[in-house]
Amino acid sequence: MNKKGAVLGIIVISIIVGVVASMSSSTNETFDVDMTRTHGSISTAMGSPILGDPLAPVTIVEFGDYQCHQCHNWFVNTKPMIMRDYIETGKVNLVFVDFAFLGRDSPKAAQATYCADDQNMYWEYHNSLYTSQESKIDNGWASSERLKAFAFNLNLDMELFNECLDSEKYSKRVQYNSQQARDNGVRGTPGFFIVDSDYNQTQIGGAQPFSVFQKILDSMI
Amino acid sequence: MLEIFKLVFFNYKFFTLSVIIFSSMVITLLLISEFIFLEPYFVTHIPSGSELGFILIVVLSTLSALVIPMNIFRISHFKNSKQKISGSIFGSIMGSAAGACSCGPIGFAVISTFGSVGATATAFLTNYETPLRLVSIGILIIVLITTMKAIPIECKIK
Repeated sequence: MNKKGAVLGIIVISIIVGVVASMSSSTNETFDVDMTRTHGSISTAMGSPILGDPLAPVTIVEFGDYQCHQCHNWFVNTKPMIMRDYIETGKVNLVFVDFAFLGRDSPKAAQATYCADDQNMYWEYHNSLYTSQESKIDNGWASSERLKAFAFNLNLDMELFNECLDSEKYSKRVQYNSQQARDNGVRGTPGFFIVDSDYNQTQIGGAQPFSVFQKILDSMI
Repeated sequence: MLEIFKLVFFNYKFFTLSVIIFSSMVITLLLISEFIFLEPYFVTHIPSGSELGFILIVVLSTLSALVIPMNIFRISHFKNSKQKISGSIFGSIMGSAAGACSCGPIGFAVISTFGSVGATATAFLTNYETPLRLVSIGILIIVLITTMKAIPIECKIK
């Protein structure tokens, strides 16, 4: 009876230890996202925080790669005007969803943005990546060391950031986002979906000029 | 020099061929390089910082439209070595391939199909787009000069 009790006790303790261990390890990989967040046909739950007024009637969903020079072109030439005329006025908001396919440094750069998001600095880090982009893919400008240097320049807590980046905490999040791009027929970056409150959506492929966005946004607002 | 151009391009077949080569190359390359968009609206634009890329595409297309018909003219009229055309074809293809992949649909298709090999090829063609286009323009200029020197000699021989 005592032997049986001891064996039973060991089993129960093992189960409890196992459950606690699995819960603690899964705690390391959890992050604060709204898994129900969608825009039209796209699940943006794992994408960026919303830029602009979350209640804006129209959302621009941007699929991009941090090593894509056309994404940089759009960031420099078109996005500032959209920010000025639509996002800062509360008419439109924007969500960035990673489509990291161009090179080996692309997924790491995307993961780094979410490590910055842990410290509420997603958009600052996102902007620093595009302003620091170099024309050559995988030439080291987005290596782990450089990604950490960008974080350092933004005064992020480096212990937290390095731990997050080195552990690849957000690897699956970036993969999920890239799969969203494929599932929604995105065939290159940058790719955009403009979605209104009635779930009407228009797709735009490539770094198109402000006039194209203006025409579509004005028709939806 | 003008006489040689007249000799080749006053022939409507070679003139038509030249127009077809130029228009198909320039439109395709401008579409791929995102200077022209067809959807959701037809729109053309040259983003700041991309002016050199635009100029190289126009120069490359113009040279191809001159050199390829002139070499076909040599082959058809003088039954000359067909190797003469290889330089112009090589220069045109190399110049067209440079930068054609990048982050657009062609790059995505190449990477999706060929995996890491495709990604390496895409990165190479993107990273060295301008030098590759300059080299291909150089090849086409050399072929143009040698062709213009050769045509009068071959005419005299014939």
